[in-house]
Amino acid sequence: MLLLAVVGAPGAVFALFSLLWLLGWTPPERLLTRVTSVVYLLATAAVGWLAWSLHASGQTAIAVSLGDWFVVHEYTFPLALLADHLSLPFLALTVILVGLIGHFSATYLHRDPGFERFYILLHLFAFGALVIFSAGSFDLVIVGWEMVGITSVLLISFFKTRQGPVQGALHVFVVYRACDIGIITAAYLMHHFAHTSSFVDGMPHLTSGDATIVGLFLLLSAAGKSAQVPFSGWLPNAMEGPTPSSAIFYGAISIHAGAYLLLRSQSILLESTTASVAVIIIGTLTAIHGTFVGRTCADAKTSLAYAALAQLGVVFVEIGLGLTWLPVLHILGHAMVRTLQFLRAPSMLHDYHQVHAAAGGHLGKTGQHYDSYLPEPVRIWLYRMALDRGHLDTILENGFIQPLLQLSKGLARLDRIGLSSDKTTVDKPPNLPVVLRAEEGVSNG
Amino acid sequence: MADLSFPLITAAVGLPLIAAAVAFSNDSRARLAGIIGAAGATLCSAKILLEVNAAPGLRLAEPWAFGLFTADSLNATFLLLYSLLTLGIVILAPRRDTSARITGATLLVLAATLSAYGADNLIVLGAAWVLSAVPFIVGPFTGTWRPRAGLAASCLALVAAIGIIAQSAQTAGDLEPFSLSSLQGHNYGGSAAFALLLIAIVFRKGIFPAHAWIEDAAEAGPVLPVCLFINGHLGGFLLARVVIPDFPLVSLGAFPILSDLALLTALYAAIRAVAETRARRILALLVLSQSACILAGLESATQEGITGALVHIIVVSVATTGLFSVLRLMEVRFGRTFTADHYLGLGEYTPRLAVFFVVCGLALVGLPGTLGFCSEDLLIHGTLSSHPQIGLLLPVATAMNAVSLFRLFSKLFLGKPRGSIQGITDALPRERWVLASIVVFIVAAGLMPSQIVTLRTNAAQAISRLW
Repeated sequence: MLLLAVVGAPGAVFALFSLLWLLGWTPPERLLTRVTSVVYLLATAAVGWLAWSLHASGQTAIAVSLGDWFVVHEYTFPLALLADHLSLPFLALTVILVGLIGHFSATYLHRDPGFERFYILLHLFAFGALVIFSAGSFDLVIVGWEMVGITSVLLISFFKTRQGPVQGALHVFVVYRACDIGIITAAYLMHHFAHTSSFVDGMPHLTSGDATIVGLFLLLSAAGKSAQVPFSGWLPNAMEGPTPSSAIFYGAISIHAGAYLLLRSQSILLESTTASVAVIIIGTLTAIHGTFVGRTCADAKTSLAYAALAQLGVVFVEIGLGLTWLPVLHILGHAMVRTLQFLRAPSMLHDYHQVHAAAGGHLGKTGQHYDSYLPEPVRIWLYRMALDRGHLDTILENGFIQPLLQLSKGLARLDRIGLSSDKTTVDKPPNLPVVLRAEEGVSNG
Repeated sequence: MADLSFPLITAAVGLPLIAAAVAFSNDSRARLAGIIGAAGATLCSAKILLEVNAAPGLRLAEPWAFGLFTADSLNATFLLLYSLLTLGIVILAPRRDTSARITGATLLVLAATLSAYGADNLIVLGAAWVLSAVPFIVGPFTGTWRPRAGLAASCLALVAAIGIIAQSAQTAGDLEPFSLSSLQGHNYGGSAAFALLLIAIVFRKGIFPAHAWIEDAAEAGPVLPVCLFINGHLGGFLLARVVIPDFPLVSLGAFPILSDLALLTALYAAIRAVAETRARRILALLVLSQSACILAGLESATQEGITGALVHIIVVSVATTGLFSVLRLMEVRFGRTFTADHYLGLGEYTPRLAVFFVVCGLALVGLPGTLGFCSEDLLIHGTLSSHPQIGLLLPVATAMNAVSLFRLFSKLFLGKPRGSIQGITDALPRERWVLASIVVFIVAAGLMPSQIVTLRTNAAQAISRLW
């Protein structure tokens, strides 16, 4: 039950504060921050206790079955939580970092109009992340997966009066929802092939062909959530949110959720050479993409985001190669370091000057980069490609968004032909984000 | 067949009718009459649901009602749901939407829809179906010609089908040719009646290619009554109550095609919504898309799909009532209809309405933690089981609906407000309590869905047994 308390506490705090707010009460800042600190301190202690008891008992996992969420005929939705050697590090990472972010934000967002909104969403995010990492079935993973997604989007649009964050949020939402089709279909296929999506008693065995299909669908979702190629375009848009949420989402927890999903389903991937190779290829491309693009980014947060992407690409390669502990250690270390870097990003110039002062003058250049060995035309081409973020957004827009918008407008015309009393037109396209918009000629102001 | 303890369905139908008469005659007391009428219907419906739950698997007849009405696990939930929706709308409707004519006609629609749900007689069902559409064809909710034509077509098709079924039953020597209970598997009316019933369903539910009237009605008609009308889901109800019982084998054969058509409609409406800019039309397209998912679930002929469809009716009804209500409240506050051309930043003035909107919207597209997740999960499993290839359209359509909905939310509530507007109030207490009830229901039922799912599973089993 301790595991249930750890997972449920942030959800309960979210439900309580949001309901009270809807009914007209706004909680004071001090109450919110203190409740947050207490909840995550206790949660950290509880996860520590769970880890210790798991180690002391010599068990491989603690499973908590809460029965079936709902049952229809032969289909059941089991509510089972699982704390094992894979999930416990992620649970610990989540409660520690969310607690730290909560503490940091008390000062960072002090007197911000969206203070309580940030904290309420932070608790919802923590709940979603803890559900992902403690879920005992793919069905339950979807629950947390979607919650993390929607929280992420709502926090990107935190500064809701500015156009950039709002457009960025829509862009991220589009990619998330499109890629979520992967995990939803994979969960259905698990029911279809193995008659269960539960992995409390170990991952169900699939044939090689079935594993390929399930693995590729899971990879689609993992790639979307972890901003892997070709879905990396949303990452810079996500940097529009407040720095603490950027740190926890895109430096630490959310961005690694895709890697966790692949680690959790690694036995399925190992059954299928095709799926494993696909993971390796996507990871490699992402690592290269992140390295190149990150070097042309002009702002600190985006630069850090692409640096995180490059590391995450390497993590995907490690997972595709069948390694288990190395990617887990890689993720834990990476999440900690990247969170610190994100949180320090607003003070980067100050830090830079401090380093210079400590060194007693300007630091020397680090030296020549390997790309200087390339011919100049190639370097220019690479620079342009990196500056346009690998043309991924353009490809996505021309290959998917534009045709979809054209189709939608065509269908609207079809609806109107000779039949409609609707005399207005839909020729003016909707204001999708910059990257998604059609032939938009109007300003969004 | 057991009996209800009292003619509760007659009372549930009669109270709104009396209230409608009062509302028509007294403009200043119209809202009060509406609240009393809808609340009375709600109490009767709640009692019906309790009695039906106490006698699982049975169809309860009304005492002293000449076999006109019955209650069972299929219609008891609909009776309560629809009464509650009407009550909520009457309470939160802006003052300008509670005139004598509008409130009276709304109560008339309530009474007619409850009659259709409770009917155990083809004539009652047909009359209720027509009466519920009358205010939209010739009454105070009349809009442009296409809604009127669509609804008239559905009414004519149903009346013709009923005539053919009754004639066929009489020819076959059935002593009760109009009784719904005696339809079981007789194929009365043959392919002509089957085709006419399907035409009635297609027009009423707005299945492609007869979908456009719903958009027009939402755009040009009074938005709250239109929302209430669409959420009657009488098309789906007719399928479960008449088509499947009368034509179990024919329908089983035809359902793969119909289900594919419904899924295509879901995708069609979802694609249409992507580039649509008018707020009312976007919501109408989302309702169309999600309603088509309901039909696809019913026609999947799997327990999961049918249960998912029956749960999804609740989700779509409640969530879209919340969405249309918030939109209407915003329109009244700002004195205009909205388009998703620019970021309007209205959330700055109405933060709580914004939250109600986004929660209802996300429930509609299956956010975990809401009842929508549960129904979508069952629908996806049902449709993918019965149509593995085309079933994949359902999650695709839902994903696109989610994008359209979030886009609409962004455009309406996010961004920088243009100029300074004074005196705009956030949700008033009566609006806040109704909308908060909707949100609490959606979330509480989403966290503990087993009760509702079990309730609907009983109805789904009753439908499945017909095959």
